[in-house]
Amino acid sequence: MTQHGASGSASESASGSVPDAGRVTGSRHVLSRRRVLWGAAAAIGAGGVGAAGYFSGGINRVSRGLGKKVIVIGIDGMDPRLCRALIEAGRLPNLAKLAAEGGFSDLATSIPPQSPVAWANFINGAGPGSHGIFDFIHRHPHEQCAPFFSAAETLPGDGFLEWDDHRLQLDFWPFNHKPPRTVLRRQGVPFWDYLDARRITSVFYDLPSNYPPSPSQYGHHRCISGMGTPDMLGTYGTYQYYAEDAPADAIDEGGGRRARLVFDGESARASLVGPEDSLLETPHPIRVAFDIHRDRESDAAMIEIQGNRILLNRGQWSRWVQVDFALSTPRPFPTQHAGGICRFLLQEVAPNFRLYVTPINVDPSHPAVPLSEPPSMIQAMAKELGLFYTTGFQEDHKARSNGVFNDDEFRAQATIVLEDRLAQFEYAVDNYDDGLLFFYFSSSDLQSHMFWWNGDENPTHPTRATGEAAARFEHVKALYQRLDGVIGDIHDRYGGKATILVMSDHGFANFGRQFNVNAWLRDFGYLNPRECTSILTDVDWSRTRAYGLGINGLYLNRKGRERDGIVEPGEEQEKLTRQLIARLQSVRDFNGAKVIRKVYRSSEIYSGDATALAPDLIIGYARGYRASWETCLGELTPDVLLDNPSAWSADHCADALEVPGVLFCNRSIRAKQPSLIDIAPTILGEFGVSVPDSMTGHGVFES
Amino acid sequence: MLTQLLIALNGLASAVAKPLLMPVAWCPGWLSITAIGAVTGIAMLVAFKYTSNQSAIRATRDRIKANLLALALFRDDIRVGLRCQGALLLGAANLLILSIVPMLVMFPPMCLLLAQLALWYQVRPLAVGEQAVVTVRLAEDRLDRLSAVQMGPSSSALSRVGPIRVPAQGIVCWSVEAREPGLHRLAFDLDGAVFSKELSVAVGGAWMPTSMKRPDRGLFELLLHPRERPFTEASPVRSIEIEYPERSSWTAGSRTWLVYWFVISLAAAFAARPVFGVHM
Repeated sequence: MTQHGASGSASESASGSVPDAGRVTGSRHVLSRRRVLWGAAAAIGAGGVGAAGYFSGGINRVSRGLGKKVIVIGIDGMDPRLCRALIEAGRLPNLAKLAAEGGFSDLATSIPPQSPVAWANFINGAGPGSHGIFDFIHRHPHEQCAPFFSAAETLPGDGFLEWDDHRLQLDFWPFNHKPPRTVLRRQGVPFWDYLDARRITSVFYDLPSNYPPSPSQYGHHRCISGMGTPDMLGTYGTYQYYAEDAPADAIDEGGGRRARLVFDGESARASLVGPEDSLLETPHPIRVAFDIHRDRESDAAMIEIQGNRILLNRGQWSRWVQVDFALSTPRPFPTQHAGGICRFLLQEVAPNFRLYVTPINVDPSHPAVPLSEPPSMIQAMAKELGLFYTTGFQEDHKARSNGVFNDDEFRAQATIVLEDRLAQFEYAVDNYDDGLLFFYFSSSDLQSHMFWWNGDENPTHPTRATGEAAARFEHVKALYQRLDGVIGDIHDRYGGKATILVMSDHGFANFGRQFNVNAWLRDFGYLNPRECTSILTDVDWSRTRAYGLGINGLYLNRKGRERDGIVEPGEEQEKLTRQLIARLQSVRDFNGAKVIRKVYRSSEIYSGDATALAPDLIIGYARGYRASWETCLGELTPDVLLDNPSAWSADHCADALEVPGVLFCNRSIRAKQPSLIDIAPTILGEFGVSVPDSMTGHGVFES
Repeated sequence: MLTQLLIALNGLASAVAKPLLMPVAWCPGWLSITAIGAVTGIAMLVAFKYTSNQSAIRATRDRIKANLLALALFRDDIRVGLRCQGALLLGAANLLILSIVPMLVMFPPMCLLLAQLALWYQVRPLAVGEQAVVTVRLAEDRLDRLSAVQMGPSSSALSRVGPIRVPAQGIVCWSVEAREPGLHRLAFDLDGAVFSKELSVAVGGAWMPTSMKRPDRGLFELLLHPRERPFTEASPVRSIEIEYPERSSWTAGSRTWLVYWFVISLAAAFAARPVFGVHM
């Protein structure tokens, strides 16, 4: 074809064939090879510039924060009384500096002062009536009182394909099955949505009450979920403990599992219990076997798990270990995998070998469930920092409460968590340009639960000698000092450039005595029969007018709402309510101390669209008291008032007025009584965004 | 006999690879593996040219082309079409047979080369302060001496945990922490005899050859671990192994380097084919 003449070329071009691809017609329009290469280079260059523009300055990417910076440090459970005492003692110089520069105030907490409720107040800039979270635990009234976690709920799937002994859920045509999904139950509009809509960046690290992470519509909101995020077993954290003296049959204890180890020579085999194999018709947990070899002479042991060898001295923690859980699938479908991470603590080698394994956290480098918005955020952090805790409750308080840890072991584990968090804080600050940065510390809450004891209020600790209680309380004070250093660091870096808010969701109080609401209701004849041991098992609803569930909630067994309700709405309900309030507020301990400071009617304190699941009454305990452990899940004890024998010897689920949080700021605080619900309006105000009607709080910089 | 031959070949390969692969230590990983992939691809191409029957391959390829053309021209004739497809299959099989000899010739050097490359890319050296598990495996008839195995003092590494003796597996393990950068030797003492193993410690992710295991005299082990001399048959120590960390990279990472090298060498060989006039 190349031998054809010019005329031939022209005619073949006209018929659609291109005999000489480089030439069109006439010498002035010759498309030379050089031109083609230059054109291609220019096109690639233009494409590159366009792509760079999209990623760095495109309409969906560029921040409209205009350099404005607001930094919020959330310190769970930081107490204003202790802060004042430590400031006076000169032990919190950076917070003192912040207070002098701007302000320091109590921060009114939520009713009830429980973390999920309080942080949801912070998120919505409004009370529980707006977000629908009233306690850690809610109940389904149409199932009478079936309890569930208030912040998130896993809904069952719809449709499946049976294949051998498997149930497959195929979410594509023509099957269109709906797999089970976990939904965030917090209602209302979070304040960052208003920033997001105005292209203002907001970044949150370990935000409580936001699992699964709520989506960002415009791509300017990024968030890693905090408290409320489950472990691989779908719980708030289940440790596994192996010992030679454990019961022969493995037992589940609240928040943990104990299994016996039997050594053959100096080697033993155990299995790590993972998530349920949900593809099976009858799901059961996936187990990963591991081998333990101990060396008594060296006082050390080796663990072999999935090809990893981990050597530990007694008392030593392992690094994070990635564990692969394979979900069985019928052939020819490929095996599905879910990745978890855990750490081992060798507690004792001999004579009683003891090994603790942390709750199996979701692997942040390959998360099996969404942990962040966008999902890549947590992976990017894991790539830079390595593996870290991803469950909401990271300090293993259950291991301490159940006696698997002693105080020193708990503190060591809590320190690991804190070090992790401090590394993440560095990462967060290094990656912060402008907009809102929120960073959350849990250490002050969970360490306070274990080590707080104010001897001035109650000289006698329920389980510790006075000297030991004071020494452990010193850990809390040292922790406050450590966090003060963090505040100093952020102030040094951003003091003149950013609005810095240091806040907590509530304070703390001793928890020496516990009150069983249901036992009290039983004693007054509101709950029957007298032999009842739990409202979930053997209560007679036809003779029960009120019941307690969760930490602060009390519900009437209302006709038309509860499945087996008997209390008529209207006059009967009102009479019962008045009676309960009066009697509860008059409860006295053996020494005459008032147990309950105030009982609130939810109809008086909550307003909004999300009040359907609210308890009828909220019990505000006096300092030193709290609902009993059994009350939380509806169990009854013979006595109404008991000592609290748990290592968990401090709490905040008292009356809201007894346990306010703190607010420090490098700008002057003008509000007389700032509250948690004021923080969101304050942040919006800093970015010039008007406060929406749904928020009931006001900016703290306004008088 | 085969063992001795393999030991000798490993020694030869190490001697040749040492100067040739030295630039790997200076280059970024992606560059060195790309360059090595390209060079080996071209070297394989040249080797193929001189170890294969080029005229037979050319003739076979011509026949394949002719049959392809016939298929296109006589689309309507089923008999011709079927005959051509059969001939195409035969041609492809013939090409495969013609490549057996060059493949067999290239197989041993490629195995040796890949074992040498694995020393650089399969794992990364320890960083200073990083820990790794060291495992000494004893011969089955010497398991009663497990408790006598001691790790010698070393300025390059510090024992952090161990020894942990596992009679069921015939091993003794330590967790050692790297202290000084460089190529060191860890020494282990058993009944007065000293057994050593190379330890690689680098600064800032630097590249250096890293031998994971000083092996026993099994053929497969010798092939996979060519850098250190294997223990003798009579040795009470069968092997010493260090669990080095993986290297993470899309091109020169522990899990990717082999695939990346293979793709680059294939691409280089195909690109260079017209230049060297090789029929494949």
